Amino acid sequence: MSRTGWARLAGFGVALAALHFAPLALNPYFVTILARIGIAIVAAASLQLVNGFTGQFSIGHAGFMGLGAYASAAFSVYLGAAVLDALGGALPAGLARLLYFPFPLLVGGLVAAAAGLVVAVPALRLRGDYLAIATLGAGEIIRIAILNVDSVGGARGFSLASDVHPGVDLRFDSLAGVYGVAVIAIAAIARLVYAGGGLAFRAVREDETAAESLGIPTTRVKVEAFLVSSFFAGVAGALFAHSEGYIHTNSFSFVRSFEIVTFVVLGGLGSLSGAVLAAAVLTAAPELLRGLGEWRMILYAALLIATMILRPQGLLGQRELWPLSRLAAPDPPSS
Amino acid sequence: MDNLIQQLLNGITWGSIYALIALGYTMVYGVLRLINFAHGEVYMMGAMTGYYTARALGLATEPSLGGLALVLVTSMLACGLLGAVIERVAYRPLRGAGRLAPLITAIGVSLFLQNTGQLVFGADPKFFPALLRSEEVWRSGDVAVSNIQLTVLVTAVVLMAGLEFIVQRTRFGRAMRAVSYDAPAAALMGVPVDRVITGTFVLGSMLAAAAGILVGLSNPKIEPLMGLMPGLKAFVAAVLGGIGSVPGAMVGGLLLGVIETLVTGYLSSTYRDAIAFVILVLILLYRPTGLFGQPQTEKV
Amino acid sequence: MAFLEVSRLTVRFGGLTAVSQLDLSVDEGALVALIGPNGAGKTTAFNVITGVYAPTEGHVRLAGCEIGGASPHAISAHGVARTFQNIRLFRGLSALDNVRAALLGASRAGWRDVLRGAAWRSRERAGEAEARALLDELSLGPSADARADSLPYGEQRRLEIARALATKPKLLLLDEPAAGMNPAEKQALRELVAQLRRVHGLTIVLIDHDVSFVMNLCERVAVLDHGEKIADDVPAAVRRDPKVIEAYLGADSEAGAAG
Repeated sequence: MSRTGWARLAGFGVALAALHFAPLALNPYFVTILARIGIAIVAAASLQLVNGFTGQFSIGHAGFMGLGAYASAAFSVYLGAAVLDALGGALPAGLARLLYFPFPLLVGGLVAAAAGLVVAVPALRLRGDYLAIATLGAGEIIRIAILNVDSVGGARGFSLASDVHPGVDLRFDSLAGVYGVAVIAIAAIARLVYAGGGLAFRAVREDETAAESLGIPTTRVKVEAFLVSSFFAGVAGALFAHSEGYIHTNSFSFVRSFEIVTFVVLGGLGSLSGAVLAAAVLTAAPELLRGLGEWRMILYAALLIATMILRPQGLLGQRELWPLSRLAAPDPPSS
Repeated sequence: MDNLIQQLLNGITWGSIYALIALGYTMVYGVLRLINFAHGEVYMMGAMTGYYTARALGLATEPSLGGLALVLVTSMLACGLLGAVIERVAYRPLRGAGRLAPLITAIGVSLFLQNTGQLVFGADPKFFPALLRSEEVWRSGDVAVSNIQLTVLVTAVVLMAGLEFIVQRTRFGRAMRAVSYDAPAAALMGVPVDRVITGTFVLGSMLAAAAGILVGLSNPKIEPLMGLMPGLKAFVAAVLGGIGSVPGAMVGGLLLGVIETLVTGYLSSTYRDAIAFVILVLILLYRPTGLFGQPQTEKV
Repeated sequence: MAFLEVSRLTVRFGGLTAVSQLDLSVDEGALVALIGPNGAGKTTAFNVITGVYAPTEGHVRLAGCEIGGASPHAISAHGVARTFQNIRLFRGLSALDNVRAALLGASRAGWRDVLRGAAWRSRERAGEAEARALLDELSLGPSADARADSLPYGEQRRLEIARALATKPKLLLLDEPAAGMNPAEKQALRELVAQLRRVHGLTIVLIDHDVSFVMNLCERVAVLDHGEKIADDVPAAVRRDPKVIEAYLGADSEAGAAG
């Protein structure tokens, strides 16, 4: 790796360390907001892949988040203690916990991805408005189905601190963890889209018929985008479940889907940095401007309407900010 | 058997509510190719307007058919105006901006109205005044029809018949159909497309408002988020019938109401809300143009 | 056996018959024109050959292999490429990216690209070099990084051809490539098409409704009218054919030039 490569890695290390110890110094309220921002970023980045880069308008994203949240929570509640014990045998407690957490995140992501596949294959035969409604319907079906599963709480919601494993705390209050995952998600999606093969996503967005005539398997491309997108949505949900400690399907309704769509549209459909920025700002601002309270959603909505009328390309359109803009261009040929 | 008939009756009653709301969706989609996500909120506004009007006029204490009619008309007019404003402010600037921008804006308007409603009306549920004293109008064995149910059905039928008349027998209706078919051609033929579109919104909103009042009558608990689910379900009904088709919306609404009631009654009530979405997904997969819709081919 | 063999092709949309009993044989390496007045069914025939529509009746065979009803990207893998009557470039992408997208075709690495190893780098470089070479060949080198929809009309048409060539086709279908061009541009296009055919060993079928454009370019001209083939001969003979003249409403050969 080059010198700049090492420097960047060191920089990340420092940032993560800072985040790791930050909760000790910060007001817990701020810690919660920071965690929520990180989660919103993952959700927005994952939706951008499908909506912004592949041009398929999906508005059921919260359903996949919810699945990830519940699947990971169920894993932790029912299997968590056992896994922790298995890991904890030879290792100090802190390290064992650290090694544990990728498990529920992966479970959440994979379950959501499986659902994404089930939804994608039939839904992606549709286009435009019809696809949007189909995803909306799918998201709601998922939510209502979860609501009816008693072993994850049903209408009472689901708590990580359950009687199944009294005394074991499976909450994940590491900001470093949340943001580490966020960075991985952004990097993965950016590389997927901006590497040579990723051009296929954007080709499908620009003109599906032309793309198909050039030999690009458009259905497969769309399904791939959906799979990756729902995987990370599931991971975001898992992060949410483990940082909040208690989840209810009300957090994963189409209102939440609309919120994430707002991030992506306001940031700019086709800009990963835009989605990240919008997710961060729109999640943070109303929390910090406490007085807003009920006005938060009204503001969201007004902003959304105004943006579509006055600046439909959103904040960044299809451009990327550093460092993603560098990622977007392949390394120059050695000449 | 009696239970079945009762269920069917309930289903048709609910179905006619869905139909009234679905008509607004289908007409707007017909002229603009836009899914007006905010339509459910217009229905909610109808109920709320009715609530405040009834209380302002002191009708809560003296139930009467005349009072009901007054509340109905007031609410319909107010919401017709609301519909026109929404169209003018949020959708007209986006005419010709593709399909995505208006869809997103519609979502924005929906969120805006829901949350403004919560702010202005308060998030707690209110009780719609009993504008009619509930009494049984007809009974045969275990099957009973209340005057409220009858009122809902009759009002819905009258309104739908009125709409059908407007669509088929008036110049405005003809203009509306022309714009649905081919807006640029209609414009070239001298049809005032802007006014037709606004008028379509007004009509649809009036029907949604009426639905809100009728629901207030039969299920008195109303609150600012009451438009979400019925709005979505009415939309499903419109898709079921064939989005863009007026008779489709009526049939779709009735069908959805009946299916929902029957499944809830005979199978399970916890999945009640999911039924509409399952129907939606099935329709989109197997017959996206719905029962009465026209297939659309893309020119390559 | 002809390279492209369309036999008794019929395409119906509901009550409308767009193409009726079309027979068309194109030998390998040939340059054939498909002409006819607007609405004759030419683009529909192209759409069937490239898989956008399935034949209602009849067959389409490429080098003996039946392709009627196959999906567009499968047909592309057989070596068929096309341009569109109403240009369908990837408008928001650069000219270079338009061509690079075409190079992907069926060979996408997908997940492996995420890791950006050495293999990825060399693939990217080769791909970019190949794309630039194609752009240069079509005199688009300087516009490589410009947004496709910012290019002048003539360049957009050439870009679509460059993009189609990137899939290394054996059969190239050009749908109204000269539409909207002035006589000088049409001449340049004629030379370009002839040159591409030589250099890339292509079989070319092109649609146009301007009879004079195809006259000095193509070896054979097939004429469609209302979905049926009314002539199929050398250009000189077709030009004199009374049925063809009548199909163009008795006007002279410049009638279709309005584009």
